[in-house]
Amino acid sequence: MDEMIKIKNLTKDFGEGRGIFDVDLNIKKGEVFGLVGINGSGKTTIMRHLMGFLHPDKGNTSIMDKDCWKKAAELKKYVGYIPGEISFPDTHSGMDFLKLQADYMGLKSMAYAEELIDHLNLDATAKLKRMSKGMKQKIAIVNAFMYNSDILLLDEATTGLDPLMQKSFTEIIKNEKKKGKTIFMSSHMFDEMENSCDRVAFLKNGKIIHVVDMETIRGNEKLKEYKIEFNNKDDYNKFSKQPFNITRRQDEYNQVNIHIWDKDINKLFNVLSMLDVRFISHQPYTLEKCFKEIYNNTEVA
Amino acid sequence: MISTTLMKQTIKANFSLWVILTGVQAAMVSLIASTGIPVQSTGQIYYNMLPGLLSAVYVIITSNKLIASQVDKGTMAYILSTPVKRLKVAVTQITFFIGSLFLMFVISAGAHILSDYIAMGDINSSDIQIILLLNLGLFVLNMAFSGICFLTSCIFNLSKYVVAVGGGIVGAFLLLSIMAMFGETFQYMKNFTIVSLYDISSITETSSNFIWKFIVLAGIGAVTYIVSMVAFTKRDLPL
Repeated sequence: MDEMIKIKNLTKDFGEGRGIFDVDLNIKKGEVFGLVGINGSGKTTIMRHLMGFLHPDKGNTSIMDKDCWKKAAELKKYVGYIPGEISFPDTHSGMDFLKLQADYMGLKSMAYAEELIDHLNLDATAKLKRMSKGMKQKIAIVNAFMYNSDILLLDEATTGLDPLMQKSFTEIIKNEKKKGKTIFMSSHMFDEMENSCDRVAFLKNGKIIHVVDMETIRGNEKLKEYKIEFNNKDDYNKFSKQPFNITRRQDEYNQVNIHIWDKDINKLFNVLSMLDVRFISHQPYTLEKCFKEIYNNTEVA
Repeated sequence: MISTTLMKQTIKANFSLWVILTGVQAAMVSLIASTGIPVQSTGQIYYNMLPGLLSAVYVIITSNKLIASQVDKGTMAYILSTPVKRLKVAVTQITFFIGSLFLMFVISAGAHILSDYIAMGDINSSDIQIILLLNLGLFVLNMAFSGICFLTSCIFNLSKYVVAVGGGIVGAFLLLSIMAMFGETFQYMKNFTIVSLYDISSITETSSNFIWKFIVLAGIGAVTYIVSMVAFTKRDLPL
């Protein structure tokens, strides 16, 4: 059972071009898999199918080889979930809510929940109705993780969290990964994905347009991009005549962007040593850049 | 077949409205009975109008709260993210709904019998039988009402549609039955409302005509509840 989550040919048509179409994804055991896309691209729809809330028009989804629709209730023993929209039932405090959920799950010990509450710096005894969006989100995070489930489905899990808390959340994800958990998360925050995911799928208008392996993005690439600015126009023009692969020019700033292989880097320095350079900076290839490139270059019918 | 955790939650969430309406009903029937009116007459004076309206308020509000409003708000996601089956959720909510209505009329019947006994110093067994049947009739009428409303709660995603459609149907039935009371010209309206199946004169005159009508009302309830369960387990939920 190497593949924990299988999405095969999944289609759900809401009409007017909205919905998801022929989505195919396989997520391996122990993998952290990300799903990015702009609002309305279908991330939540995919999550809802995995939770057995929606019935596919075509295709199917399975977790641990069990059909997500037919075995929905049984699968919940192994799945922790953060819904895209946070709205709690009428319970008094955050802790009351967590205890209620623990009761449904048959969870006896709240020890791990307490640990998570600590880690997120959360006051769970506060009234749910008085809580800020971020606090509610933290409660939802604790709720998803406290059962120590093997599989985690996280729909926009860091909405409303401040940047420091987003870091704590990334740490939690990394810890869970170490424990061998399989995590499927959707987000529109690229940093969060970059730091925690093994693979990321791009979603556009309900279709998967690309799946990237994060190894290829995390600074391991041999072809790097640099931005160079010169102090005067002469040197800028001189540099422009050199046989480098210039990808972008900004005449008004005397700036160029170039792509260069690591093996050729000394040639660049030889040339630059003759010129009056204001600065040179490495432009790391980020998930965001990768996404924008592919997103804009892909037409989805 | 039912989830005790959910049942506790449901009781907590719906208790106050139930207490208020049950209390008002019991108080009103006690008030009327304590004036010493013969039991037969309470049928026309009290049972043909007020309890129907009060319990309808409870039915319309509660049916929405039991399913649709939880789907609308998204809180249902938390129940269904645990190993509780949708069918179990539906059965638990239905058990609560029917049980709470049954108890409402048990209390109302008890209040009536007790007040009669206190007012008259005695009560004969045929009076008790009439009171029990009058309240049983209200219960089966509410089985039908609550079944219809619960079905709309299981079909629609938005609370406003549940209140509009379920509440609309029940409200229309009640309105027609009240209109029919205003003289001969409107009497034909009786034929268009299931409230007429609660045949008070048949009960107070101790004929057996009311029996098949009770069965029809209970049947409407049974069918709508069964369809509700199927609808809720088969449909897409926007959670």
